[in-house]
Order: sequence, then C-alpha cells, then structure tokens
Amino acid sequence: MRNFIVAPIKFYKTWVSPMFGPKCKYYPSCSSYAVSAIQNYGLKGIAMSVWRLIRCNPWSHGGVDYAVKEKVGV
Amino acid sequence: MNTILNPLYIAVSWVIVTIHKALSPIFGADSGISWSLAIVGLVILIRVILIPLFVKQIKSQRALTALQPHMKEIQKKYKDDRQKQSEEMMKLYKEHKTNPLASCFPILAQAPIFFSLFTVLNGIGKNPPVKHGVLTQEDVVSAANAKFFGAPISDTFLGTNITTVKIVTVFLIALMSLTTFTTQRQLMLKGMPKMDSSNNMMLQQQKIMLYAFPLIFAISGVNFPIGVLIYWSTTNLWTWGQQFYVIKRNPTPGSPAYEELQRKNAKKSGHSESPTAEAIEPIEDLKGQRNQPKKKKKKNK
Repeated sequence: MRNFIVAPIKFYKTWVSPMFGPKCKYYPSCSSYAVSAIQNYGLKGIAMSVWRLIRCNPWSHGGVDYAVKEKVGV
Repeated sequence: MNTILNPLYIAVSWVIVTIHKALSPIFGADSGISWSLAIVGLVILIRVILIPLFVKQIKSQRALTALQPHMKEIQKKYKDDRQKQSEEMMKLYKEHKTNPLASCFPILAQAPIFFSLFTVLNGIGKNPPVKHGVLTQEDVVSAANAKFFGAPISDTFLGTNITTVKIVTVFLIALMSLTTFTTQRQLMLKGMPKMDSSNNMMLQQQKIMLYAFPLIFAISGVNFPIGVLIYWSTTNLWTWGQQFYVIKRNPTPGSPAYEELQRKNAKKSGHSESPTAEAIEPIEDLKGQRNQPKKKKKKNK
C-alpha cells in the first residue's frame, strides 16, 4: 500500500522533476522527503509531506530537514 | 470538487467578464477580440501578481554571488560526501537568509487557477453553453460565438468539421507545443548547472521529457476549446520571455549562461589583459566544483 502511494512520487522524481531543474528550498527535496516519510510513517507520512510542501514556499529559508530524524540517508 | 473551486470559478470568470466589459466599447461586446483579449488579460494579471516572487528569487540569486567563497569552501571540505555537501550548502543558505531556489509554490499556485479557467472556458465550449461563476447566460452565448481568427472560441479540433477551426486549433496547438519545447530546451542547454557523465541517466530522462511534453500537449490539445488554447499559449509565451530574461541577465551560478555572462562582463570591465584572465580563471575553477552539490541534489530529487 505504501509503495503504491509512493509510486507516483517516484515517477515525478525521475521523469517530471528533472525537466524543471532544482527547485526545492530544502534538503532533501520535498519529493524525497515524502517518499521516506510515507514509507516510514504511512498515513502520518502523508500529512508530514503536505506540511513540508506548505513550508517550502517563497518566504521560507529552507534548510536541512529529514523525515526520519535519527536515520540519516534517504 | 466543484464546491471547493467555486470561489476560483467566480474569481476567474469575474476577471474575464470585467476585462471583456472594459474592452466592449472599443471592439464590440460580441467581438472575438474582446473575448480573446479578456483571456489574455487574465494570464497577464496572474503573471503580474507572481512577479514579486520572481524578483525575490532573482535577488537571492544575486546574493548568492557574495556567498561563493563559502560555497567553494564547503565543496572542498566535503568533496567525497555529496550528501553532507548539500546539507552544509542548505545550512549556509539558511544562515544567510537567502535561498536561490524558488520552491514549487509558483507552479502549485497556478494549477487551481488553470483548472478553474479550463472549467469556465470548457463550459462556454459546451453545447448548449454551461455557465460558471459570475458569467450570465448572455455572456456565455456571446463568448461561445465570438470568433478568434474566424473560429468560434468554444470550438475544439475534434468537435468540428469547419476548416477554419481546424487550421486555427492546429496553429494554436503547434504554438503551445513549440513554446513548451523551446522553453525547456533553453533551460536545459543554458539555464541549469552543467552535469557530468555520471548523470547520464538524468540527461536521458530530460531529453525524453523534452519531446514527450509537447507531444502530450499536442495529443490533449485536440480536445481543448480555442479559449483554453489561447490561455495556454499566452502563459507559455510569458514563461519563455521571463526565462529568457533570467538566462540573459541573472543566470543560475554554474550554468553555461552564467559563464557566458561572466565572460561578457569580464571583457567589458577588463582594460588590460590580466584582469580579464583573472576573471575567467575562477569561473573555470567554479565550473568543475559547482557540479558536485547540484548533482547530488538532483540525484536525490
């Protein structure tokens, strides 16, 4: 189920995103964040990803922000 | 879905009706020029509202030039750990309260507006016309029959047998696909930091998408009413113009366009030989190193 939700995000990451160049204010990018959040936390991960997308706006300064805090590496 | 988007339908249709009303005394209420320009006006309004964001991004890109020494230091320090490199880079941006990246907000913000416009214009294109937002029955009928270069704004390529409509839709679909193609090609060739051969996979994907996007537009375009095609072509032209400006005047550091500009500036300011050479030297240096963080970031995207 989780992989099912993550699939379109992965599709976006490989196919759509390269077309527009790097855009995200955070590291890892919102899509990477979403993949790891959903795979690790499921439903809660979706909420986290939405919140991350909202935080990633023109007035934010970005920064380093992992979905899974202790485990480094996406 | 309709209830959520209803305020947007109202907003979009209100803008169109208002511009149309303002233009009616000049071109006539039922004239295709008034209705077409109303759609174009909506595009211009949306893009003008987004200009401050665009300016903000350009400013932070300029601020980045001042951070170059720090960035180089980070690149040198974490030469073998690209993840760490990207992290440190982000920390640097945050520390200096500047971030050259735009976030996806400008794209996300436009999506619902486009969708609403599509619904509103598609409603006009229905037979009989369906009204959305503040459009009156009279407006809808007038707009549906208004002609853009001889073709009713509500007509689609597939829904007609009239040659004029076919020609106009094909022209607009071609314009829509072509502007998408050139905009992305320009970004790929000049606007983005160079990638080395280890990013071959991504280059390959970019190349495929470069042709796939216009193709998708061309295929779906046959179902779009002329009004939507006008909107889309105008938006694309604006995007292209904006990007052209960025690439010429404020290119992303590390991109071919950036190097071109630096070379040009160096030539302009350099009276003797040595400052010119000096100005070029760091660019070459930068080219090799700048690739590193970008590469990692993209790989992770």
